[in-house]
Amino acid sequence: MRPGSIWNKPDFLVSKRAMLEIKDLKKTYPGGVQALKATNLELPVGMFGLLGPNGAGKTTLMKILATLLEPDSGEANFRGIDLIDKKHEARRMLGYLPQEFGLYPSLTAEQTLNYFARLKGVADGKERRALIDALLERVNLSSARGQPVGEFSGGMRQRLGVAQALIGQPGLIIVDEPTAGLDPEERARFHNLLSEIVGEGTVVILSTHIVSDVSNLCGRMAIIRRGEIISVCSPREAVASIADAIWEATLPREDVPALRSRFAVISTQAFEGRLRVKVISRTGRPGEEFGLTQPTLEDYYFSLVTQAGSGN
Amino acid sequence: MQSIARAPFRAVFLAEILINLRRVAPYAMMALFSGNALLWWGAGPATYRGWSTNSEHFILSMMSVFSFMTCPLFTAVIMGEPVIRDFKVGIDPLIFSKPVSRAEYLLGKFFGNFFVVVCCQACFALTLFGLQGVSVSGMIVGPVQVAPYFKHFFFIVVLSHLFLAILYFTVGSLTRNVRIVYGLALSFYPVYITWQVAVLKKMPGWRVILDPMAFNWGDAITHGHDAEWLNQATLSYTADVIANRGLVVLLSAACFAFLYARFSRVERSRDREARGRTSIFNLTPQSERLYEEVGMAGLVETTEFWQAPAASAPLPIVRTVGTGLRENFARFLAALGVELRLLRAELSLIVVLPIAIFMCGLEVAYFGGGTGQSYSAAYASVTAEVSLLFLLGIGVFYTGESMHRDRELRIEPLLWSAPARNSILLLSKFAAVFMILFSLITLLTLISMAAQFYKGHGPVELLPYLTIHSVISVPNIIFMVGASVFLNVLLRDKYLTYAVSIATGVALYYLFTQGHNNWLYNFVLFRQWAYSDLTGEGSHQARILVQRVYCLALTALCLGLAHLLFERRSSRGVLGEGLSSGRGLAALAAIASAAIAVLTALILARAS
Repeated sequence: MRPGSIWNKPDFLVSKRAMLEIKDLKKTYPGGVQALKATNLELPVGMFGLLGPNGAGKTTLMKILATLLEPDSGEANFRGIDLIDKKHEARRMLGYLPQEFGLYPSLTAEQTLNYFARLKGVADGKERRALIDALLERVNLSSARGQPVGEFSGGMRQRLGVAQALIGQPGLIIVDEPTAGLDPEERARFHNLLSEIVGEGTVVILSTHIVSDVSNLCGRMAIIRRGEIISVCSPREAVASIADAIWEATLPREDVPALRSRFAVISTQAFEGRLRVKVISRTGRPGEEFGLTQPTLEDYYFSLVTQAGSGN
Repeated sequence: MQSIARAPFRAVFLAEILINLRRVAPYAMMALFSGNALLWWGAGPATYRGWSTNSEHFILSMMSVFSFMTCPLFTAVIMGEPVIRDFKVGIDPLIFSKPVSRAEYLLGKFFGNFFVVVCCQACFALTLFGLQGVSVSGMIVGPVQVAPYFKHFFFIVVLSHLFLAILYFTVGSLTRNVRIVYGLALSFYPVYITWQVAVLKKMPGWRVILDPMAFNWGDAITHGHDAEWLNQATLSYTADVIANRGLVVLLSAACFAFLYARFSRVERSRDREARGRTSIFNLTPQSERLYEEVGMAGLVETTEFWQAPAASAPLPIVRTVGTGLRENFARFLAALGVELRLLRAELSLIVVLPIAIFMCGLEVAYFGGGTGQSYSAAYASVTAEVSLLFLLGIGVFYTGESMHRDRELRIEPLLWSAPARNSILLLSKFAAVFMILFSLITLLTLISMAAQFYKGHGPVELLPYLTIHSVISVPNIIFMVGASVFLNVLLRDKYLTYAVSIATGVALYYLFTQGHNNWLYNFVLFRQWAYSDLTGEGSHQARILVQRVYCLALTALCLGLAHLLFERRSSRGVLGEGLSSGRGLAALAAIASAAIAVLTALILARAS
């Protein structure tokens, strides 16, 4: 076993090259909404963050990769398997935690995992029981194993969702907006759990609109907006790219519209009756009130999203 | 000031009506009760005893039988859950944190739901009332009546069900367990019949006072009179009936007072040691009670989860099997097991199955034994015939529930991303509903055999039962469930499927009554066979067997098409993964079964 891995991973799975390749993936919904515009991505092993505002096309991309949605055109290959045309084969190496999912309320946690394990093809009863025990232990639901899922809290259901996604050593794990609606403690716990998921040779795609999820967990990330990938880098590279370019000041509200016309305002926040404003400027100080501030991944994200939104 | 005090009651009352307006049950009850009135009007005693369909005697007897036979279980469906629902969806803290008194809450809940029950029941009375304007040949209709419909509906139906409703409501609110309410509703018939037979029958004339349903009170007045007298008779309530109704209202008030005294809005104890204890009115262990369970879930969260984080032990490596026949069969068994478990957890099934068993049991219990064939054949035939409607209804309804459950519970993304073939997901649902129906027909057969034995209509032979059910009932079940699976996949809407199924059934029945009963579209061979045909003594054995093959081929075609049209895709094209894939095999099966269906249809057409 390698340190940091939750499975005793066979050697053939260990590779550093791109494992998931997405080429020119397009999807337009019947209503005319273009959810994906020629998306291209290469994902190596490890956890990859897909960041974007609501309605950016994240869930559409996740559903296509999870074999649940048919794209209009394009390719997606995971370890040489076509995720679009060989869906059944792809499902054997897939672990999926959707943004919204339900569970049979009358089944217990143990019965639920047993069902998914059998569907996944874990035929040996002894192995299955050992796996379910370990999974319940891993997501800390051992004490609630006999409890009907209908009585679980939101956090417990989410953890059971993660457990089912881990069945059968999946090579590709897709996690769509997993922390939405969780309280801070539950989110922290969830981050730990997700970081433990990443075995070597496993690709984990974390789709979220919460920037801190990506900065805490992901080695690489992409930002998607209106169906287009507008950035692919590591969180560290992202923050480094805006070093010495983020300026902050607290201004009267009436000054902000004029500022917007001259600079790219990336965020505003109400503070003691005034507005705390962050501006990106590579050409120097935007004004005397402004001071240089430590950039964050959130600043990078907002700078890209606002620039794309303003057409720059 | 007074109107402010009443405001919470009105709010709760109106909210209950609104909630019920968005449920299917009240509309289904209205349709059922209207259909019930239509059936008893058209095929009831009025047609063969010469009773006028709007005589007071007929109205009273219809109301009495309706109140006793049809209503009690349905009253439980509406009245058992109102308070439980609040605790189940977790809205109770929001309500109880408002200035709503216990009495306002309980009265608002009770009367809101009872109003809905009465509206549903009124459909029966209104349909009978409306049918005064319709007359068919051989039916006697007197001058238009208004008051008797409303008078007898109120006195016999509404007041009797006031007591039952408050009983169900009290038990549901105190136990917070809907299963106990349904159990109570099911025990109504044996308890009430025992009360009538063992106690009331032996008592003098004033026994009417002690009959909570006021059932048969008019018999003493109308007994021994001919139809002409009955059609003219005006029935007024005697002192003992008025006393009876007064007693029922008093009992209802006492029951409500008891509920008011016992009902608690505060959170119940979370003491773990209390699990498993029972008391007189907390009839179930805590594990069955929703509110307590949610509390336990929270307790696990706070005391165990955060204080004892999980150890980072590695997950064991497991071998996953491929997609061979044996492996897929194992997946199918897993899916079938879950489907059966989920069907078993359907609360409505707890109500519907006993009704089906009760109604079919009644038919068999009063069956005279027939003539011209063995008793066993006659009993098996009548069982197959009376169970057909229930098999059709239950088959269509639970196939719809099963087919759409995954979407409604939002579990589809999890299931559909698992490496299970579409055929496994579809066939497990088909097989689960088939097994429920097969169990029902087996149970009805056992009841029929017991009735035959009890009535001395021996000997009880197994062969006629086996022959009739294997040639008639089982293929019918398979066809109905298969066709329903296909319709659900094609229409992708549960209620649309129900509507289409009912419309098709009604249309086929109408065609049958008009003499159009060609075996090509009389799929279930409704009234087209006799036991002698199945044994070869009659003239239709070969034709019946061909028709059965035709039906099974149509079923296979339906399942093949359902597989091809299933929303979940495994490749881009219809045959993207080749002929040996699931879709390829489904296409081949559909073509082969279509060919068999056409061939058998030609044989049937030529034979007719």
